[in-house]
Amino acid sequence: MILVCLLLLAQVSPELTQHVNAGLRAKQAGDLPTAIREFLKVAELAPALAAAHVNLGAVYYESRDYGHAIPALRKGLELNPELPGAHGMLGAALLAQGFAAEAIAHLEKGQSLDLLGVALLEVGRDREALDRLEASLQSRPNDPDLLYYLGRVHARLAQQVTDRMAAEFPTAARTVQLRAEARTAAGDQAGAVREFQAALKLRPDLHGVHLALGEIYLSAGDYPAAEKEFRAETELVPGSAVAAYQLGAVLLNLGDAGRAVKELERAEALKPGMPEALLALGRAQVATGASGAAEKNFLRVIEQERNSLLTEAAHFQLAQLYRQMGRTADADRQQTLFQKSRSQRQK
Amino acid sequence: MGLCGLGFGLAQSPFLMSPAGLDFVHRHSPTTQKYLVETMGGGVALLDYNQDGLLDIFLVNGGRINDPVKLPVDFGREVPAYWNRLYRQNADHSFTDVTAAAGLSSGPNSYGMGVAVGDFDNDGFPDLYVTGYGPNALYRNNGRGGFTDVTAAAGVAAGGWSASAGFFDYDRDGSLDLFVTRYLDWSIDRNILCGTPFNAYCRPDKFAPVANVLYRNEGGGRFRDVSSLTGIAAVKGKALGVAFNDYDGDGFPDIFVANDGMEQYLFHNERGQRFKEVAMEAGVAFSDDGRTYAGMGVVFADYDRDGRPDVLVTNLALEKYALYRNEGGGRFRYTSLTTGLAALTARSSGWGVALEDFDNDGWRDVLVAQSHVLDNVAKINSGLRYLEPPLLLRGTGGRFQPVPLTDQAMAGRGLAVGDLDNDGVLDAVITVLGGRPVVMTGAPLIPAGAPPNWLTVKLTGTSSNRDGLGATVRVGDQMSYVTTAGSYLSASDRRVHFGFGRGLGSKGEQEVTVEINWPSGKKQILEHVPVNRLLDVKEPQ
Repeated sequence: MILVCLLLLAQVSPELTQHVNAGLRAKQAGDLPTAIREFLKVAELAPALAAAHVNLGAVYYESRDYGHAIPALRKGLELNPELPGAHGMLGAALLAQGFAAEAIAHLEKGQSLDLLGVALLEVGRDREALDRLEASLQSRPNDPDLLYYLGRVHARLAQQVTDRMAAEFPTAARTVQLRAEARTAAGDQAGAVREFQAALKLRPDLHGVHLALGEIYLSAGDYPAAEKEFRAETELVPGSAVAAYQLGAVLLNLGDAGRAVKELERAEALKPGMPEALLALGRAQVATGASGAAEKNFLRVIEQERNSLLTEAAHFQLAQLYRQMGRTADADRQQTLFQKSRSQRQK
Repeated sequence: MGLCGLGFGLAQSPFLMSPAGLDFVHRHSPTTQKYLVETMGGGVALLDYNQDGLLDIFLVNGGRINDPVKLPVDFGREVPAYWNRLYRQNADHSFTDVTAAAGLSSGPNSYGMGVAVGDFDNDGFPDLYVTGYGPNALYRNNGRGGFTDVTAAAGVAAGGWSASAGFFDYDRDGSLDLFVTRYLDWSIDRNILCGTPFNAYCRPDKFAPVANVLYRNEGGGRFRDVSSLTGIAAVKGKALGVAFNDYDGDGFPDIFVANDGMEQYLFHNERGQRFKEVAMEAGVAFSDDGRTYAGMGVVFADYDRDGRPDVLVTNLALEKYALYRNEGGGRFRYTSLTTGLAALTARSSGWGVALEDFDNDGWRDVLVAQSHVLDNVAKINSGLRYLEPPLLLRGTGGRFQPVPLTDQAMAGRGLAVGDLDNDGVLDAVITVLGGRPVVMTGAPLIPAGAPPNWLTVKLTGTSSNRDGLGATVRVGDQMSYVTTAGSYLSASDRRVHFGFGRGLGSKGEQEVTVEINWPSGKKQILEHVPVNRLLDVKEPQ
């Protein structure tokens, strides 16, 4: 397109016009090898015409032949540094070939925010990369590539902080806590428990450590140990809805439905509408005979969650509850919904 | 169990014994290919094959598997190391290997899994049905110390991969029928590798489900496959365990099937004609959070003495053994949480299971053969372990309390219960994958000087099947169902056992009333029955 516009302003030979038109037709038809041949001829006939080189570069770019696209685009920009679109294309081609540092200036001029973010990330300018990627995400919130690079830049920034803590404050409680969290993520549960306990020795008031320990014990089925840790977290952070929920859930597993109800009601008061807490609360209420309250909570889960595992579980609970209450038709309906959800998930 | 002939070879724990002569070693042939069958055997049966009054032990072996397997597969069952074994109990309670003399050294080219026991021909001698990956085998007890392979004539080879099996009289015609669970549509020549970065045994969801098989005893030594006719084949499963009881009290035995990694099945017996799968409606298909679990072993017995049979299913670590209390009206309620069972078993993986009164206090206790299915589970979750000690939980009237049984960790699989030395205290045999079986006695639970009272009842049917399988025996508020099935791959003694604690009433009476409901429909009441003895009861003509 650039070439066509510029040709209108230039004094050109019929032969040049013929090759330009042939190149454009081939490009439109997707016949890129022919388009390249024609635009090569154009560049040969009009070597001083910047647009000729840029269009050749554009076809190479479209063919993903970045090695040939780069010199053509460079030549075009030498002849006319203001050609629209050429900087962005050159920057993208350079980035694709791994020349991130050189790409940055062209991507800045070309206003390619997303690719600029990637190039900045590649050269280690993480904070600038974060800004550009966040800005790009506004217009493309569901782009997996963008989300991937955003994840990478966040991880890098987090790692920088972690490295700094390890280097400058190696024995600080928070550093030990970080190491414990890294061990948890790596699946080293025994190591994580040791580190978390060490962190607590250094600073018994650290938030989140008892919670993390409780979750490790829970994942190994050690309910009594998990209860102890969740309880400690609720005492330390009485406003933590998550800690209250976890304590309530583990009490339910320990068969103490009465105390489970209290903790789960507290979780619900702290953060109303947490579906996990509502489901656990309903189960605990069933165990204590509070069928009406349980029914309401299961229905709330279904209202809030659509087509999730929690909805499926709520349908199951309602089917059981209604059957116990003798409401066979309601039980059958919930059972059907439960089974439908299961079969859809299994597909 | 008394100590004659027994040694404390395993030492440390007074509960575990090493009876002299019981030298069986289970061969499971583990490979780097992780053929699923390697980790699933083997069964055990307690039966009095020669009717001398002492329980004998039959153990199912695995087989030889090359690494990798060479086709056509040969499990090497003709090699003595891979034989199933029958051990006859001697008068001093030691054991003698009588496998060859009993004619049990040969069998089909199958990888052995489980065993069922029942007197299918009503001749007074218990017969054996051995399951496996490959054809199953029915061995008729000839009453002279020997067995004859009658599989072909009986038409019960099944094929595929069979796991637990059990004899019961579903149509109450007086002849024992046979239910065979089948696990997966799996073949050793279509093995797939699972797990990264190391091989692990595949989860059951990698394979298609298959239908279980119900054989009706037609008499004359022949059975007929009635799986489709009765509706059993209408649902496919991944079955490992099976147990029978009459959960709704209609007089016909129902079937609970423990499925691995999918919903459990409860087949309601429609008056001996058909079966209807009703687990979801009955509340026993899932755990209480609506999740499936790896059902393996199952027992169907009354733990809370309300006269209704409850269900206990073993599964894998983090799933919690599933206990369902029978609430009447065809409904069950999940009670693993409220009984304390969930907290006690959340870290455990269970296979064979018993719900019996090991301490004679009148409440049924839980005994489980334990181990994870994956021998490398610790690499996957460092909080879990492969080998585990067996679990003993004392029933205390609706809740369970742990009893330190042993620290010895093992790969427990099958489990069968019976009073090996007839001393009034139940014993159990637990099989160990790739190892020697473990014999456990409840004797250390019995307080010295003031032993609790007990009664063991042995039934002989006349118009009912000769074993009396399917009869209910009630003493006070205790109810026992006569069956050899249940657990995992195993068959227990058919005699039923009751404990009464130290007193039977306000005056400490030493007599009880025994009420028997026979499968034939006859009701028999025996009054003033002295306790602390073995009671033989013949069905009235």
